[in-house]
Amino acid sequence: MIKIDNVSMKFNLGIEKDFSMKQAFINLFANRKKRKKDEFWALKDVDFHVDKGEVVGLIGSNGAGKSTLLKVVSGVMKPTKGKVVVNGVISPMIELGAGFDPDLTARENIYLNGAILGYSKKFLDEKFDEIVEFSELREFLDVPIKNFSSGMTAKLAFSIATIVNPEILIVDEILSVGDIKFQEKSKNKMMEMIKGGTTVLYVSHSLQSIKDLCTKVVWLEHGKVIKMGNTKEVCDQYYKEQLG
Amino acid sequence: MTKIKGIFSNFKRYWFLMTQLIGRDFKVKYKRSVLGILWSLLNPILTMTVMAVVFSQMFRFKVEGVNYIVYLMTGIIMFNYFSAASNAGMTSVVENFTLINKVYIPKYIFPMAKCLFVGIDFLLTLIPWLAIIGLSYVGLGQYTCHFNVYFLILPYIFLCMFLFTVGMSLLLSCLSVFLRDVWHIYGIILTLWNYLTPVFYSIEILPPKLQTLMNFNPMYQFLTAARSIVLYGQRPSFTTLSILGLIGVGMLAIGSFVFRKKQDKFIYYI
Repeated sequence: MIKIDNVSMKFNLGIEKDFSMKQAFINLFANRKKRKKDEFWALKDVDFHVDKGEVVGLIGSNGAGKSTLLKVVSGVMKPTKGKVVVNGVISPMIELGAGFDPDLTARENIYLNGAILGYSKKFLDEKFDEIVEFSELREFLDVPIKNFSSGMTAKLAFSIATIVNPEILIVDEILSVGDIKFQEKSKNKMMEMIKGGTTVLYVSHSLQSIKDLCTKVVWLEHGKVIKMGNTKEVCDQYYKEQLG
Repeated sequence: MTKIKGIFSNFKRYWFLMTQLIGRDFKVKYKRSVLGILWSLLNPILTMTVMAVVFSQMFRFKVEGVNYIVYLMTGIIMFNYFSAASNAGMTSVVENFTLINKVYIPKYIFPMAKCLFVGIDFLLTLIPWLAIIGLSYVGLGQYTCHFNVYFLILPYIFLCMFLFTVGMSLLLSCLSVFLRDVWHIYGIILTLWNYLTPVFYSIEILPPKLQTLMNFNPMYQFLTAARSIVLYGQRPSFTTLSILGLIGVGMLAIGSFVFRKKQDKFIYYI
């Protein structure tokens, strides 16, 4: 389903610096080796695959490369080296509410955000009520979302993102959205999606939810795979390493 | 062939998103204005009136043998489209960086949507423009323009200009990802380009050498073809029409080629 073949991702941290006359001038004379320092490998030779129906968890400390990996899989980034093969329709839930326009109303934003997520007009027309119902925001439908609280915006975003039944689901820790009631509701919704036989790539810092959901775990650190395999084994070792 | 098919199916797939982006631009543009979308009509009418007064009454510009007001308007609406659309298209990719960094969307959508968005405005300006041509029958300007069958060629000319503009937008938006200076440089180039295109003057006032050089100005070609229909009732030659097509498709090809080649690198420059 998802094949990640020796994927490496390189960023150039010096790019921001390069945009000045002074730096451009210095670069003319600076030796190549020194410039190499600015290179940063967010992912290095990551290699694993996710079979159909598998729920794979990604763990690792902040900046380990988890989100970058998700972006590579969802096609936002092309890997510097290696290849990613994905079979099936992906629903990336990396960032909620991508492309929300604060000046537009909730109703308008449902269509805009839905289009950005790749839904068709027909699909959105059909599911519109379901989205509104789930978001609990019916009375605010025609209010520009700049007047929404951040919790309300998140609820709306979550409701739009989770309306699909994708073959492949990519989730970046978005379970904790809204008030307690909505958190519970969204958690159930996620469980329902995950347990519905979809292939899932799941990033979370909550080891408990990883243990609950995942059939396999990949532990990333500094862009490299430290360990992967049995959920309990990897999680326990990770926990020990981090806190022990 | 399959490649072309792929491009079209991709286009179809993202058409809804395109309409949403264009719709967003419209809604945001006219939020909280009483007249709303009417401004898209009023604005060109008022601008045209100002320009017409300034150039024909104050500066006493004229072009021998034709209705100067129609001459001026044709130039203005066409050049304004190109300048506004290519400018908006140029900045569109950088402006949508946050989006590009979050979800996979084909990136050409952004400059394309801008060209279409400004294109709708352009179509609206055609209404007052046609009205002015109609008014020339009842004595607006010195000469009368005649509606004629060759007006049917105008959509083709506008289409060529549209393709040319999309090509420019793709090229500029791509370049400006890597070098933000392009924004400032292009602003100057546009001003220069505006004066080097016979929008409000006639090419005859230029020295002969410049007149020959003018042939290399694509905007001059578009303007001249449209004017020969509207002002003289003459059909542009088939050579001219093919050249226009070539300019449009050629620029689009150059723009798409560069854009395609570089688009995977955009993400590093966010």
